[in-house]
Amino acid sequence: MITLYRPGTSILHRAPAGVKILVLAILALAISLLVRDLSSLALAAAVTVGAYLLAGLGVTGLAAQVVAIRWIIVTMLGTQLVFLSARLAALNTGRVVIVIVLVSLLSLTTLTADLLDATDRACQPLRRIGVDPAQVALLLAMTVTTIPVIAGFASTIRDAQRARGVPLRLQFLVVPLLIMSLRHADDLADAVAARASE
Amino acid sequence: MSGARIEFDDVSVAFGERRALHGVSVALDQRRIGIIGSNGSGKSTFARMLNGLVAPSSGQVRVLGLDPAHQAKQLRRRVGFVFSNPDAQIIMPTVAEDVAFSLRGRELSLAEKRDRTAAALERFGLTEHADAPAHSLSGGQKQLLALCAVLFGDPDLVVADEPTALLDLANTRRIRRHLLDELSQQLVVATHDMRIAAQCDIVLRFENGGLHDQGEPAAVIHRYERDHA
Repeated sequence: MITLYRPGTSILHRAPAGVKILVLAILALAISLLVRDLSSLALAAAVTVGAYLLAGLGVTGLAAQVVAIRWIIVTMLGTQLVFLSARLAALNTGRVVIVIVLVSLLSLTTLTADLLDATDRACQPLRRIGVDPAQVALLLAMTVTTIPVIAGFASTIRDAQRARGVPLRLQFLVVPLLIMSLRHADDLADAVAARASE
Repeated sequence: MSGARIEFDDVSVAFGERRALHGVSVALDQRRIGIIGSNGSGKSTFARMLNGLVAPSSGQVRVLGLDPAHQAKQLRRRVGFVFSNPDAQIIMPTVAEDVAFSLRGRELSLAEKRDRTAAALERFGLTEHADAPAHSLSGGQKQLLALCAVLFGDPDLVVADEPTALLDLANTRRIRRHLLDELSQQLVVATHDMRIAAQCDIVLRFENGGLHDQGEPAAVIHRYERDHA
């Protein structure tokens, strides 16, 4: 499920979304640029574990996020092991995994509405070039909302095809998925027009 | 024009070659207005014209004294619309956020918005799902959420286009109760559920894009069922 938010009262839950995004950006940049050996990777991992403990999500919460991205880990590690040493492959993969689970921590401790408000504020300077920050925030929210809907369409199509003995082929999935998605976009546009009066 | 809350004067709508509505003239002031008719008869087109989602190809429409074709923005603040497919009307990721979306653009403090959202969720029995992803709700709960979100905007007129089409018996009853027993605003409901139509103050029947019949619910429903016996 794309909305990860877990209600809580920890310091990370209470911190302003804008501050969390800023800290996350700094951490991501630091991990990408400064983690060059296994000891600094271990330090970054320790900071990540500490952040999850601080959020009251525990090691179990962190493990759930790592399991959720297991295929990314396998793919990254697998492809890099072909070309690089095991040490470098582990270092590169470790950096990406730490950044992803830190991004997840932001979603786990921040309501989408607060993230959108922060986006709205961050985009305010773009008004000068004719961009409406509220529309950017709404677009992001609707994207987040729509992902599970599209995934549901894919699952429905696949179930219907399986029931009729149709083998799994990309072209059999893409065309009906595109049609259902476009129809949904039409309906959603009507709903936004009806509710947003814009 | 007569000055009624909903007025259609010789209204026609065409989508390309297809005529969805033709020559519809009606003036409605009743509190609960039922719309019935076969699939493709023009019910949804009529309903969608009430908040400017569909514009007339010819003729004049006035809703709450406003022209939907030119004053759609003002009108949509006063007309709430419930669609038949609840999946298609969820805009925000979580239940509480979707309800709170109806307050977008209003000058209220964050605390006030949260308090009002919580009260609305409680009224519709959705409190325990407040922070849940909206799409994880059952079909009935999603439709309750849609209705909750629409009523939260405090509209003067509620338009519901087949609001129980995808629901089971228990959820149909729940939506029916909210719409017919608890709603204080004027309601226009397009439906295939004759029990909903029977509880309205007037029923309009559409066939082939035209207003075929209108009047006292029991009589209109009787003629509709007789014609399709």
